[in-house]
Amino acid sequence: MNPEPFLQLDRVIHEKGRLAIMSMLAASPELSFTELRDTLEMTDGNLTTHIRTLQEAGYISISKSYQNNRPLTTCSLTAPGRKAFAGYIGLLEEILQQTKPR
Amino acid sequence: METNWAADHLQTIRTLMERSALYRRALAPIMTFAGTLGVLAAVFGCLLKIDSPRPFILYWMAVGIVAFSGSLLLVRRQALKDAEAFWSPPTRRVAHALMPPLFSGFVIGVVLHVHVATADPPLGRVLSMLWLPVGWVVLYGCAMCAAGFFTPRGLRIFGWAFILGGCGLFAVGIPDWVSRLYFAHGIMGGFFGALHLAYGAYLYLTEKGKNAA
Repeated sequence: MNPEPFLQLDRVIHEKGRLAIMSMLAASPELSFTELRDTLEMTDGNLTTHIRTLQEAGYISISKSYQNNRPLTTCSLTAPGRKAFAGYIGLLEEILQQTKPR
Repeated sequence: METNWAADHLQTIRTLMERSALYRRALAPIMTFAGTLGVLAAVFGCLLKIDSPRPFILYWMAVGIVAFSGSLLLVRRQALKDAEAFWSPPTRRVAHALMPPLFSGFVIGVVLHVHVATADPPLGRVLSMLWLPVGWVVLYGCAMCAAGFFTPRGLRIFGWAFILGGCGLFAVGIPDWVSRLYFAHGIMGGFFGALHLAYGAYLYLTEKGKNAA
């Protein structure tokens, strides 16, 4: 079996929590911090850490605004983030194809 | 083993993407509000003896507008409480799914209200107090079915109950033994009142902890 696809997997996305965040954002133009936290059942601190890592990698963008005088933080995938996520899924499919019985 | 790992990852991604697109506002308070309003409106409609076509149409369209506005306020309240955007992408999807049948029902109501005054009285009564309520029931069912594709559970079955019930009533017509007044308000109260209350109760019992409006 060719180990190359596995070695090419993006380590930023590959972590379970960050993969979950990327998956959620890939299906929705934007999601609020609380929506992500509640759906993924993460703590505020855990989610903040993962979001920061993804933001530093340039995969997600954060916007902060106010709704009825309450802060509203929303996250969305950037173009490089969408590309990286598509690439990650492509590699997973490649791994599956390689190991399928012929 | 690696195959399982990759397949599991892909399955997780698929599940999360599907969940991300779902509408997350709790429906139980909205259903209970709409149901209570529907039952009360039907009771008052009978008590006030609203049994001529134009007042009947006007009365129930006003009730519909109050129910729609109240539901929007409940959704907004939930969104504010959860620190989430009111007009979020899932809310937009649900609104887009609801709009065509609800808009059709509204336009049909307005057109009938305008033209029923000049129609032959027996025809006007049948149109406005049998066909229109049943048509509204079927169209509302279509709206719920469409919205059900973006909500977690049960809404499509709820929509089908309206569609099947409405179609059944089309087939049966107004039975001889019941007065037009009670039949017309009964349809509206039964479907838009009792059925909503039943669905709201079902959601309260099965979605505990999510239903604070």
